[in-house]
Amino acid sequence: MSFSATLRDVTLKYRDSDALADVDLELEAGKIYGLLGRNGAGKTSLLSLLAAFRKPTSGEILVGGEPVWENAGIVSRVALIREGGDFDDSDTVKSAIETGQIRPGFDTAYALKLAERFELPLKKKVRELSRGKRSILAAVCGLAARAELTMFDEVHLGMDAPTRDAFYKELLAEYMDRPHTVILSTHLIDEVANYLEEVVILDKGRILRHEEVEVFQNMGATLTGPAAAVDEIAAGLEILAEQQLGGTKSTTVAAFEAGTRERAAAAGLEIGPVGLQDLFIHLTEPNRNGA
Amino acid sequence: MPSLENLTLPNRQFALGLGIAGEGLKYFKYWIVAAVVLAFLGPLALSQTTEIDLSTWFYTANIGKWFTAFVAGGFLYALVPNMIAAGLTRRELSVAMGLFGLLWSVALGALVFAGLLAERAFYDAMGWTQGVQTGDTISALGSWSDTAVFAAVYPLMYLAYFAAGAVIGAAAYRWEGSGWLLLVPILPVVFSLDNALYDTEPFGPGWMGFLGGFMDEWGRVPILIGVVAVAAVLGLAARQILIDIPLRSKKA
Repeated sequence: MSFSATLRDVTLKYRDSDALADVDLELEAGKIYGLLGRNGAGKTSLLSLLAAFRKPTSGEILVGGEPVWENAGIVSRVALIREGGDFDDSDTVKSAIETGQIRPGFDTAYALKLAERFELPLKKKVRELSRGKRSILAAVCGLAARAELTMFDEVHLGMDAPTRDAFYKELLAEYMDRPHTVILSTHLIDEVANYLEEVVILDKGRILRHEEVEVFQNMGATLTGPAAAVDEIAAGLEILAEQQLGGTKSTTVAAFEAGTRERAAAAGLEIGPVGLQDLFIHLTEPNRNGA
Repeated sequence: MPSLENLTLPNRQFALGLGIAGEGLKYFKYWIVAAVVLAFLGPLALSQTTEIDLSTWFYTANIGKWFTAFVAGGFLYALVPNMIAAGLTRRELSVAMGLFGLLWSVALGALVFAGLLAERAFYDAMGWTQGVQTGDTISALGSWSDTAVFAAVYPLMYLAYFAAGAVIGAAAYRWEGSGWLLLVPILPVVFSLDNALYDTEPFGPGWMGFLGGFMDEWGRVPILIGVVAVAAVLGLAARQILIDIPLRSKKA
């Protein structure tokens, strides 16, 4: 069983400022979600509410159809892994892993297997770990929690590229093996784009967009071909990104109409989906109105 | 924590309380052994140069009060983010801490009780007097039963100090930078009861026990009831601070 998540008219204030304002969000069970937003958009605040790390100022939060706050049956099956993890730094790595056993579903054998695979030194103190190793420890504990709703908040920070790749693959393998709900909050958008089924974009404490990945990808297109032909087709369109190598140019445009698509095809241009990162930058552009 | 293996949801708060108590005693075992050894070897060494008329265990037991308060506050401060992030509710954490406080106070209190009685036998065998400092004078504890009565209230005092430490630990986590200021109202109350109960100045800023002078004549039972009441109120206050405590944001 995996958990759905619902936020109804949720507001979270830090003193006088709104971290989240009037948020309504429905996440179906058993999918992998990407949570995107600029710094300070409210991503961590939203995840903290779903994990009952803090209480909303107003509104209702349901996980698995039940209120999450102080609900042992739910929070024991919800895992929010924050950057660097929430460990007692004086613990050894092994003790930090064993603390996870407070969740009845925690899989210690799996955690130790992952620790070995990612070369975590079990006898070392948590405070002695590098930033990367600490991130790995956090990720290992998150995976081994075997939660019904697992959330990773910038957990990749400090991990090198091969480790991040191994982590994403392990996450996917665990997801395939045991379907559950996953939320990935990250700034490395293109790295995770292929794993996501739906994307939620937060901006200034509000939900800007919540769509399936395909919907985002069809919001624009990437045109590749001879520079002159690309420029001709892209003229008058909103350009999100451009790259040129010799005479070949690749331009990402927003709001790609059917007629333009036909003209691009007739001009022999290659038409690809819009990159999620380019679209995200475009949608959260501070000067953009009516996003 | 071995006690966490194979736990179930309904019993995990108790397993955790038991586990923290066990781990705490294990973690400080060398400190405790050193304190016990010093409490017996200290007077033996001092007896070479001076007459022994003060109980060393009285000092050891008093240090134990501060130690207990620090353990409660320090553990709670570290456990709040650790345990809530691991999927525990605040209510469960408060039950676990309550159980930990009871077990810790009973264990340390039993050790001090045994220590004071063993010291009594030791002092009698050496021909020394087991006394305590009361103001400017030293008062002998008297008979064996006087020593036992004197020692028997330590578990309760430890519980009061534990609850005080827990309130300050929870407040320090919740109100970063200012929570520890709860020391200001709490310390005089606990110190005054301590002062009144033993008719001695507590260790540390003993003047804070100034209210004890007004309680001296209440008699032992009302003061003990006061200690129980203060421990209960502080325990409830710690729970109240804990019950909707937000986890702090991570700092880069």
